[in-house]
Amino acid sequence: MSAAQQVAENAPVIGNPIPVGAEVYNRVVGFLYQEATLLDTIRLKEWGATLAPDLVYTVPLRQTRPMSQQAQSVIRTVQHYHDNYRSIMGRIMRLTETRSAWAEDPPSRTRRMVSNVQVFATDRPDEFAVVSYLLLTRSRFDFPDMDVISGERNDLLRVDGEGFKLVRREVILDQAVLGTPNLAIFL
Amino acid sequence: MLTKASYTLADGTPLSDLVRVPTREVQMRALSDPEIYQLEMDRVFGKTWLLLGHESEVPNSGDFVVRDMGSDSVIVARAKDGNIHVSLNVCPHRGMRISTVDAGNTQIHKCIYHGWAFKPSGEFIGAPVEKECMHGKMMPKEELGLPQARVTLYGGIIFATWDLEGPSFEEFLGDAKWYFDTLFERSDKGLEVLGPPQRFIVRANWKAAGEQSAADGYHTLTLHRWLGEVGNYSKSGDGGSADLSPEMYGVEVSSPHGHALRCIDLGRKIKKLSGLDPAELTVDQKLEALPPPGMTREMLPQLRKHLSEEQLEVMVSMPPQVGGIFPNVLFAFVYIPQADGSVLGLTLLHAYVPKGPDQLEFVNWVLAEKDAPQELKDRMLMQSIQLFGTSGMVEQDDSDTWPHMTLAAKGARGRRSTLKYQAVYETGAPAGWPGPGIVNEGFTKDDTQWHWWLYWNELMNAKA
Ligand code: FES
Ligand SMILES: [Fe+2]
Repeated sequence: MSAAQQVAENAPVIGNPIPVGAEVYNRVVGFLYQEATLLDTIRLKEWGATLAPDLVYTVPLRQTRPMSQQAQSVIRTVQHYHDNYRSIMGRIMRLTETRSAWAEDPPSRTRRMVSNVQVFATDRPDEFAVVSYLLLTRSRFDFPDMDVISGERNDLLRVDGEGFKLVRREVILDQAVLGTPNLAIFL
Repeated sequence: MLTKASYTLADGTPLSDLVRVPTREVQMRALSDPEIYQLEMDRVFGKTWLLLGHESEVPNSGDFVVRDMGSDSVIVARAKDGNIHVSLNVCPHRGMRISTVDAGNTQIHKCIYHGWAFKPSGEFIGAPVEKECMHGKMMPKEELGLPQARVTLYGGIIFATWDLEGPSFEEFLGDAKWYFDTLFERSDKGLEVLGPPQRFIVRANWKAAGEQSAADGYHTLTLHRWLGEVGNYSKSGDGGSADLSPEMYGVEVSSPHGHALRCIDLGRKIKKLSGLDPAELTVDQKLEALPPPGMTREMLPQLRKHLSEEQLEVMVSMPPQVGGIFPNVLFAFVYIPQADGSVLGLTLLHAYVPKGPDQLEFVNWVLAEKDAPQELKDRMLMQSIQLFGTSGMVEQDDSDTWPHMTLAAKGARGRRSTLKYQAVYETGAPAGWPGPGIVNEGFTKDDTQWHWWLYWNELMNAKA
């Protein structure tokens, strides 16, 4: 489990890994796949419905640092995203209810490849810590360049009926200088 | 005034033809031509003062960050004597990059190739196996240090230039300093960064962003229309989208050195917050109703220590809110309406670092007053991130626009099209305006950006 998740406010204590293939594990993977589908097909309001009202959504900066200072390669002061439920819903509103969210209109064509999923129990029976890798490709207009965003998601999911709600997401990106002109898309 | 020198581009076009002064047009090839870009690296980025960061990024002896001056990487380091030095990040031995990281702390910058070592001040310490004198005997050690840029601190902001004999930073700011002081030199302890800058690549020529930074108010109306639809400027309750055009009125200040400030009328905000007619209020009452971005009411007495009555008058009526420092800096000292009816001020700086004719690195620093309470800094930081920079809902749209301009400027026909700056002010300064500079009032016009291009033109065509 990343240091990020351990230090996050109100973070639960991370417990044992849940084996690959276990019932809960499969449900988590199903949630992540469904989420990727909603975001890639720009069903943003439906994605918004999977967010918990106490959501914390952050994307730290990265810095190139020597091997001996790797902890300092993740910057959590100024970040690329620093949002809560209210602000994410505001972003969704801008994208879905205006006719001038130009950074995504026309929208990017995206693929969120989610893999290397690890699920951990926490000290709360209804919350699971989830680590996954994200490889996101983004194509805009007729540009031949494909923007690639890669990183590790550290999520906290809360059981909600048959599914889950996203309570916390921190995405540790791999680039110190992002190769995409903005993050008008969700990670 | 610098004397004109004729220079002809490879296709026979005189360099001085790019900016057409009588009709206020700029040939679009300026946004894509590699030859022009190469000239700019010396004539613009080699001659002007460039933003590198803030001294609060390197508070301790040995602290350093690696930044860019035009196309050159530099090490910005605090030396033992407390001074900040800016050294070319290139080893004088065989040209290896000295620092390969973004930041750190060291008293010895050691080149990993053959081990030559340098102080944070750039001074050469020595080369490994001293008895063999591997740096040779032809040049004294004093000449083997890292080339030093000239450095100045302004409100703690680090600027540097390779033009060792050129104008001072104060001369470079000129009349615009009177206004910039109201942003950067207004408080006892000054500003600090809230963390390292965001950095991302936009596949656009640096001037697409640079000319916009020279106070392009007009684009807000269309490109940032969402602000009036659902954003911070939408009127709640009336269903329709708010008209942003009242925000387009104000005073614009430009400078012969290409600096620009958009001073936007605060009257409506003060009226809303205080319920009183701003014309009836004193300077102090207006400050009390709406303190400058990032300042608390408790900090207001500091303003009088640092600024004149005339500067305060501008701050409470038409404060500079966005604009630029030539060539590639944007400042935003903005008053953002909040859902609860209050106003949150944000203070940001951007540098648009050239990374080739069709690529720029967007560097975004989020600032706050050192003296401000942590709770205010936290709110400023979150809202800055949500509106500006990488994921900022305002600036997303800017960074998506500039690549199209750059691509268009590559077309065989498109490169001969022109950027037009023909919306000319016919007003002049408002009656009783106390500040210096080229001042015009009314709906935002093209003058500030045109003056940006005129200075670019002057530098590009100056005799070396
Ligand atoms: S190139 Fe730096 S020591 Fe040789
Ligand atoms: Fe803009």
